[in-house]
Amino acid sequence: MFKELDPILHSQLRLAVMSLLISVKEAEFTFIKEKTNATAGNLSVQVQKLKDAGYIEVNKQFKDNYPQTTCKVTPEGVKAFEAYVQALQQYLKV
Amino acid sequence: MSQTEKFSAVESLALIESMINKAQNKYSENGTLYLLWGWVVFICAVVHYGLLTFTELGKSSSQVWLLTLLAMAYQIYYITKKQRKAPVKNYTDEIIGYVWVVFGICMGLVIFIISQLGTWQLLYAFILLFYGMPTFLTGAIMRFTPLKFGGILCWALAVCSVFVQSREIILLLIPAVLGAWIIPGYLLRAKFKKSING
Repeated sequence: MFKELDPILHSQLRLAVMSLLISVKEAEFTFIKEKTNATAGNLSVQVQKLKDAGYIEVNKQFKDNYPQTTCKVTPEGVKAFEAYVQALQQYLKV
Repeated sequence: MSQTEKFSAVESLALIESMINKAQNKYSENGTLYLLWGWVVFICAVVHYGLLTFTELGKSSSQVWLLTLLAMAYQIYYITKKQRKAPVKNYTDEIIGYVWVVFGICMGLVIFIISQLGTWQLLYAFILLFYGMPTFLTGAIMRFTPLKFGGILCWALAVCSVFVQSREIILLLIPAVLGAWIIPGYLLRAKFKKSING
């Protein structure tokens, strides 16, 4: 029996954000935007969804008088990502 | 990218792989600190040897090594500035940072212990031994072979230092910093520029 794919992660942009963040300690919003080629508006919405699911932590602060947003994966996010990859592997075995 | 678009398992895995590669391809090491320390140690070694050989200064000629304190101050300023500007923090940089902190602490302790015991011949063997450790480890973590060779060279020179028990022992630092820091530093700088431009 197949595991159901996590609907939060089974979306291109959210999965791209999680895949980026899983391999780094933390990243600025601008870095994620550049690597995913997403628009700021769309990315903000998806980042918020990941935050609401508890998969990422978002910190907003000021750096040199400019607002700076940094994101990092939470332990819950790591678990969800691992489970998602396992479920994908199960699909591909068939 | 559309956030609502559903995609297949194969596409998902391909996306994960490509994003992980994008994150890892961010080459943040530009070689500045390798070049700074390489040239500072190079200059100190040459001046120290020159003062010992051509002047009557004797022991006080080692004061030239105080220049390393300036390099250390610049390093702290540079790292603080770089960390504030970095758009991404990765685990590799953090681990490499700890490797060099451990090296700095060990070097400081060895210099203190050996200077108290007065066995300066041992000092150079230990300095070369310690130079090799973080250099080789950084090369292994970054998968950058010139640093690994640099580390091995330092260890070979540490063995050589046993057989050079005159003031010429200072000169062993020159090939050590050339192989471990200066040449890899320029290679890292070239690699960094290449990663920015293309």
